[in-house]
Amino acid sequence: MTPLEILVAAATGQPAPRIPVFCNLLDQGARELGLSQKDYYARGENGAEAQLKMLARYGHDNVWSLSYVGVEAEILGCREILFDDEGSPNVADFVIKRYDDIAKLEVPADITTHPAWQRTATCMKVLRDEVGATHAICAYITASTTLPAILMGMEKWMELLMTGPVDLRDELLRKCSDFCAQELAAYRAAGANVLVYSTPFGTTGFVGMKRFLEWSLPWMKMDLAPGGVDGIVYYCGMAPFNNVIDIVRTELGIGVYYISPLADLAEAKALLGDRALTCGVIDDIKMIHWTPDQTRAEVKRMIDIGKPGGHFLFGTGVMPLAVPEANIRAMLDASFEYGRLP
Amino acid sequence: MLTDIIKAYNEAVFETDKEAAFLIVDKALASGLTPEEVVFEVVIPAVEEMMSLITKDPDANLAQHFMTAQIASEVTEAMLAKFHHPPEVIGRVVIGTAAGDLHSLGKRIVIGCLKSLMVEVADLGVNVPAERFVDEAVGRNAQVIGISAMMVHTATGADGSLKVRRILRERGLEDRIKVVVGGAPYRFDGELYKTAGADAWAADGITAGRVIVDLIRQAKTP
Ligand code: B12
Repeated sequence: MTPLEILVAAATGQPAPRIPVFCNLLDQGARELGLSQKDYYARGENGAEAQLKMLARYGHDNVWSLSYVGVEAEILGCREILFDDEGSPNVADFVIKRYDDIAKLEVPADITTHPAWQRTATCMKVLRDEVGATHAICAYITASTTLPAILMGMEKWMELLMTGPVDLRDELLRKCSDFCAQELAAYRAAGANVLVYSTPFGTTGFVGMKRFLEWSLPWMKMDLAPGGVDGIVYYCGMAPFNNVIDIVRTELGIGVYYISPLADLAEAKALLGDRALTCGVIDDIKMIHWTPDQTRAEVKRMIDIGKPGGHFLFGTGVMPLAVPEANIRAMLDASFEYGRLP
Repeated sequence: MLTDIIKAYNEAVFETDKEAAFLIVDKALASGLTPEEVVFEVVIPAVEEMMSLITKDPDANLAQHFMTAQIASEVTEAMLAKFHHPPEVIGRVVIGTAAGDLHSLGKRIVIGCLKSLMVEVADLGVNVPAERFVDEAVGRNAQVIGISAMMVHTATGADGSLKVRRILRERGLEDRIKVVVGGAPYRFDGELYKTAGADAWAADGITAGRVIVDLIRQAKTP
């Protein structure tokens, strides 16, 4: 079976030789090609080349479209990204500096014509041609309720969210939701089959249950309504969300859940059962100082919890650059070994 | 009457209702409480109450941390302006975001809590070089340097808190100035603060208040 077939089998509860294994190597691409982060992210071809090389070397099941989260901000007018050869690129210029800027914020009528999208498009085309039929191609899409964080900073966004004015907040959210729906459609059209919907405000650790129900949930519905939930992964930036899994499953119908390493995996698995794909996610920040043996032991612990009953995927977060190669190897070896199915 | 005020104020804070909190403070002043009493008997105990509530409550959320800090620091600032004598500060802290890091929300929450605990805080902003952390701490006679980082590479990289630690050691300041860190990566790995060369860390802004007050007590006055 191809990795894509293995993924589909896990999602639908069909037999397969093993569980699917995701390893999210984003910033590692630059190192793979011997480039600075800045040069690496400047060309779409680089992303595809590095992803394919790493795929060949490690043999995991997924690749990533060339992505740093800042691309979304760039399409919406951000002019500066802070590149750092030790870690992820960061938005350095906030598109919304004052509340007045919200009215001026313009979502392009067709985001795929924007220059910042072209690198993504180039990368996606190569990936789709090379592995589109056999592997998972992942794309990262920020939810409307979280997108303002990279347009104005978390601090200002939290202030606007908590203290208003409400009409301004909603105007911004409408624009962000429009953008989110467009981006989802653009990635689908470009060949992405796994859409990581990043929604940290879709947890009660951010806003509390009342606001989650009355505010987050309706906006998430709005983001997802135009294109449906096919291929969507509920991902909260690694924040825990077990207490809303049931509500999200019922209200949004999403079929894949990326469980925080800070959450109880057994509880998540029990909540989802065969209703959806549970993704067990290793704490890759701890992997920085673990030994390969410790890494293996953790993989085993997680797979022992998740594998029985199927509908389980093993995965990583945004693997930090500081994680030693030996631990990535140990993690993958262990996940293939313990993830084998009878 | 004081107990009613405290109860009403705590409820407003817990519900993240800033307007209600200010209304209660106004009422308290009108009924004869002094600004000093408002700070020391209402606001500070409320922050402390939130510390224990939030630590125990599995549903405590970021919005509550944000608003607790926001309300406490705004009320305190408004009251301080009305104090008869300048208040006695319990210590001084400089705080900023590590070099290469532009995230400011965590730091802001911590600052809000510290202000209301009568700790003098200097906000050094974001993307702060290690040298500046130390120079400002020395210049302001601060007992604690607080460093916020949201990404692994700014938390444990060579230009962040590790460099602050090195400079403190080289300048023989380690007894006098303590280093506290916080931010997302530390929450995923409770041991990471050691790798980052810090004396302590805190998982949220409200706990940070307590941890920093402890460190101020540990720092030796020159
Ligand atoms: C919300 C979020 C986002 C949002 C908003 C980001 C933004 N610009 O603010 C979005 C979805 C856009 C995002 C994007 C990214 N994110 Co993000 N994100 C998060 C998340 C879920 C919460 C962070 C947050 O804002 N928390 C709220 C603030 C207030 O909390 P805090 O900073 O931790 O502060 C509290 C305490 O830590 C403490 N504290 C803070 N500072 C200090 C200082 C002192 C002295 C003390 C004592 C205490 C203290 O008190 C504070 C208040 O309670 C975390 C994971 C998590 N669960 O924490 C990941 C996380 C920070 N993100 C991460 C990453 C990798 C990214 C990206 C680079 C890539 C990606 N694909 O996700 C991009 C970068 C975007 C950019 N900036 O350009 C990683 C970073 C780790 C790493 N690998 O380096 C994390 C940890 C997730 C993970 N485990 O992989 N992210």
